[in-house]
Amino acid sequence: MSATVEPTARPGGQLPPVEPPTDATGGTGRRRTHETGFGEARAHWLAYVVLGVGLTVVTSPFIWMALSSLKSEGEIRQVPPTWIPEAPTLDNFRELFDRLDFPQFFTNSAVVAIAVTIGNLVFCSMLGYVLAKSEFAGKKLLFRLVLGTLMIPGMVTLVPLFVLVANMGLVNTYFGLILPFLAAPFGVFLMRQFFLGIPDELIDAARVDGASEARIFVQVVIPLAKPALATLAILTFLGSWNNFLWPLVVATTEDKYTLPVALALYSTGQNQTDYGLLLAGAVVVVVPVLIVFLILQRYFVQGVAMTGIK
Amino acid sequence: MSAATAVRPGEHTPGRTDPYAIRRRPPLYRRRTRAAWGFALPFMLLFLVFTLGPVLMSLAMAVTDLRSRDLRNPFAVEFIGIDNFAAVFADPIFRKAAANTTYFVLVGVPLTIGLALAIAVVLNSGITRAKAFFRVGYYMPVVTSIVAVAVVWRFLLHPDVGLLNEVLGWFGIDGPNWLASTTWAMPSMIAMATWRSIGTLIIIFLAGLQSVPTALHEAAALDGAGVWQRFRHITVPTLRPTLLFGAVITGIGYVQFFEEPFVMTQGGPLNSTLSVAFHTYNQFGFGNYGYAAAMSYVLFLAVVLLALVQFRLLGEREPRRRRRKPVPAARQEIGR
Amino acid sequence: MNGISRARVGAAVIAVTALALAGCGRDSTGGGGSTESAAPISEGPATGTVEVWAMGTEGEALQAFVAAFVEENPDVEVNVTAVPWDAAHDKIATAIAGGQTPDVSMIGTTWMGEFAATGALDPTPDLIDSAGFFEGAWETTNVGGTNYGVPWYVETRVLYYRTDLAPEPPTDWAGLTAMSEQAMAAGATYGISLQPGQTGAWQTFLPFAWQAGAQLTNEDFTEFTLDTPEMVAALTYYQSFFTDGLAPTDLPQGSLEPDFMAGKIASFVSGPWHVGILKELDAAGMENVALATLPAGEQEASFIGGANLAVFSDSEVRDAAWTFVEWLTRPEVQVEWYTAVNDLPSVSAAWDDPAIADDPYLDVFGKQLESALAPPSIPTWEEVASVIDTELERLCKSGADPQEVATTIQEQAVAIGTGL
Repeated sequence: MSATVEPTARPGGQLPPVEPPTDATGGTGRRRTHETGFGEARAHWLAYVVLGVGLTVVTSPFIWMALSSLKSEGEIRQVPPTWIPEAPTLDNFRELFDRLDFPQFFTNSAVVAIAVTIGNLVFCSMLGYVLAKSEFAGKKLLFRLVLGTLMIPGMVTLVPLFVLVANMGLVNTYFGLILPFLAAPFGVFLMRQFFLGIPDELIDAARVDGASEARIFVQVVIPLAKPALATLAILTFLGSWNNFLWPLVVATTEDKYTLPVALALYSTGQNQTDYGLLLAGAVVVVVPVLIVFLILQRYFVQGVAMTGIK
Repeated sequence: MSAATAVRPGEHTPGRTDPYAIRRRPPLYRRRTRAAWGFALPFMLLFLVFTLGPVLMSLAMAVTDLRSRDLRNPFAVEFIGIDNFAAVFADPIFRKAAANTTYFVLVGVPLTIGLALAIAVVLNSGITRAKAFFRVGYYMPVVTSIVAVAVVWRFLLHPDVGLLNEVLGWFGIDGPNWLASTTWAMPSMIAMATWRSIGTLIIIFLAGLQSVPTALHEAAALDGAGVWQRFRHITVPTLRPTLLFGAVITGIGYVQFFEEPFVMTQGGPLNSTLSVAFHTYNQFGFGNYGYAAAMSYVLFLAVVLLALVQFRLLGEREPRRRRRKPVPAARQEIGR
Repeated sequence: MNGISRARVGAAVIAVTALALAGCGRDSTGGGGSTESAAPISEGPATGTVEVWAMGTEGEALQAFVAAFVEENPDVEVNVTAVPWDAAHDKIATAIAGGQTPDVSMIGTTWMGEFAATGALDPTPDLIDSAGFFEGAWETTNVGGTNYGVPWYVETRVLYYRTDLAPEPPTDWAGLTAMSEQAMAAGATYGISLQPGQTGAWQTFLPFAWQAGAQLTNEDFTEFTLDTPEMVAALTYYQSFFTDGLAPTDLPQGSLEPDFMAGKIASFVSGPWHVGILKELDAAGMENVALATLPAGEQEASFIGGANLAVFSDSEVRDAAWTFVEWLTRPEVQVEWYTAVNDLPSVSAAWDDPAIADDPYLDVFGKQLESALAPPSIPTWEEVASVIDTELERLCKSGADPQEVATTIQEQAVAIGTGL
């Protein structure tokens, strides 16, 4: 049975006239409700339940991590794991802040992550835009090249990249920490896919009005791209913030260590792990990421004014 | 260069689905090309130096017999052509790892995308309150330390006191020792990877869902289209580029899956959860740089293959192709 | 246009790569196996700035610790950078590749062969008195006949057992089996826990091989001897615990310590770090826990590990670096170091100090160290060890035939080669 009506396109992109329903249920066999949204009152309730159950499943390790950072080492190692700490203590955090030069490592991580995120937002959106919306010689090749490098396993380029950076004299510098990640193929791919969905009419109209390419980009395209930019920002920030191997390899003195490197230093041993410190460290590392996520997450769903296009 | 050139009627502009038009250069082509290269330049410079350079060097590594003893004199190695690649395919452990990885990808990618899409759609339009709360919640696995994840999952899958076996016990099923069983270790890894990856995909899909015009949905609903039909004919086509992106990056991540077996099973039991990326990591650890680089590029080829399939299934259509079936509503609305 | 530009780019890539590769070629002259002798160190106080890398807790504590050294040598400056154990191996490898090595670094004992083979390490000069170290520890610095660096601290493996389930520790193989059976009769679920394969299992197994009298390689480390009858005997014995149900084959990760303290597992083999872990878990229960040296087969043996200190050959302050290293190996400094971070000294004289001699648990480790052996420090050891791990898993979990396992290990080890 098919009750779907395929509206035909009209010049100017206006909505087609709506045909009246054939029977009281609009042909779907379901009673229409008075909801103005496109769900039904019953469905809402079920959705909450399903999402809630899923939520418990996905957040339980995080909750365990947060609660266990308040436990003693012995209690953390218990099997089966306990949830609420028997004797909650802030000792793990105290030890962490005592032993760790926290401000130094936090600053390093923050500087690197923010620089990499901003760089990616700018460079990747620029390239993604032209890959999606422009025609120029070599465009296909360029996109395939960039996409291809995204698919190369990271560990194979570690030694060559380090040798390159060492030869450039960037070992143990902020530049050495930041530059290799400023041009991330991932960001280009994300922005390109998103920009593909922006209607050409908008851009053409702006061109017709005489705007320069740069102005079109900044004033027309970027405001439409907020969800994608927010997504790219959070993913890039998270990746850079949690990056462990490269900062470890590039830094040769402790004052250039980032937070994950410093935390691993104090919690993992040759033959055993200090779980209390590790978990306290994990909680500390996650807080900035959550803050950035909370700030950005409303942009994921900021309404895009696509519907009023004439 | 004149700034304003009116669009003449009938003129071909990029993006118009006009399969019969002869391809002519659009207006302001030169200016736009120059601008395009200007936009691309900053990225390209950094990319050439810091990404492409090391890639070429590692390719060179893959065709030599570079071992760790050559680290100080990387040029004092023998060029051995494709010997490394031949050795990779002849390695029985690699073949086992490749089979494991294929299993993982074929089951994991559709599962993860389907689940993430379902949750994103429900989050976007199925509920009205506490959206932010759920969004943050579903992103938790992505930011949780792998140590905590490992402990909780080990507990879930514990043979005696584990939650999963307890729940199965209520139905009279005697659950196996999940992580120690050669049959069940891999499905456990898939479950864990899915659980960890849906968070990222959900926010990507949420961003993509914002492009779906609600006016269309309302119109279709008034016409009597059901939820599923609206989903199929409005949401999915609009979401196509985002879906492709999600599929490709999930594919890339899953072909290279490493952390779950590394933390939970170390590739066991009996190599049943050994992934190609893990095997490559071990080889780098042993100092067999040439061989490991070759293995990495075999992995790369697998990713490319998978991506090609995905582009074919989900990629944007060429404007020249003649359509056989009616264009989905969303496409026409946006004018692609 | 696209087609042409693509071909052009492709050609350029090939040209560049070909040019680079044209410069390649391995030197057919010489190679490993020849011993190097170290240049002597000048006497007198050290001068210059010494860059030191140290992992984990040692890295944390070392900077403050070196104040005493700087007092003795006022013209020297020692800068310690702490490096996490996680990925420390990668860090040293990339540093060697990029020419960014420090002057001195702590290096895990099983990494010595690999890094020495690169030529990055400096051979040990006569300044260091090798007789002071435990023999097994000194052997870890021997790569193909030349010694590099010094042993800094050591660890070895002993038997942890529950006195309420097994009152007397075993002294030989038969005794170990009997003890496990007895413990199970007394109520334990498993008499002993041994690692049944997977990463690191070789460290639990090799003591049995050495106890049986097996040698892993020939005298000059050029050939493997992994399928000798002694090896098969050790494999058979190791397997017997699993086939007889005395040891678990699928113990979930993290369960060992809680199960041991709960009395479900009667014994296990491990190193000094477990004392602290068990105390944290259940301090009161420690009165039922005791340590014993591993039972003898044909002879006594255990595994020796720990970390060495190596000086890099690129170092510009070689004299100062070696003077610093020598200072760290003085018995009194080793005792001080033990007090600071609980690392077991590699110098046997240090064990006579009351701080160590009076500790009840350490007594056992000290005794075990006298017969502890190290795997050969060959560049390919990690790879061979992983072969042993995989084969052990087949042995313990799939019941493979010990002779066949030994033959497979030997075949694969030969294919890998010793690297020397």
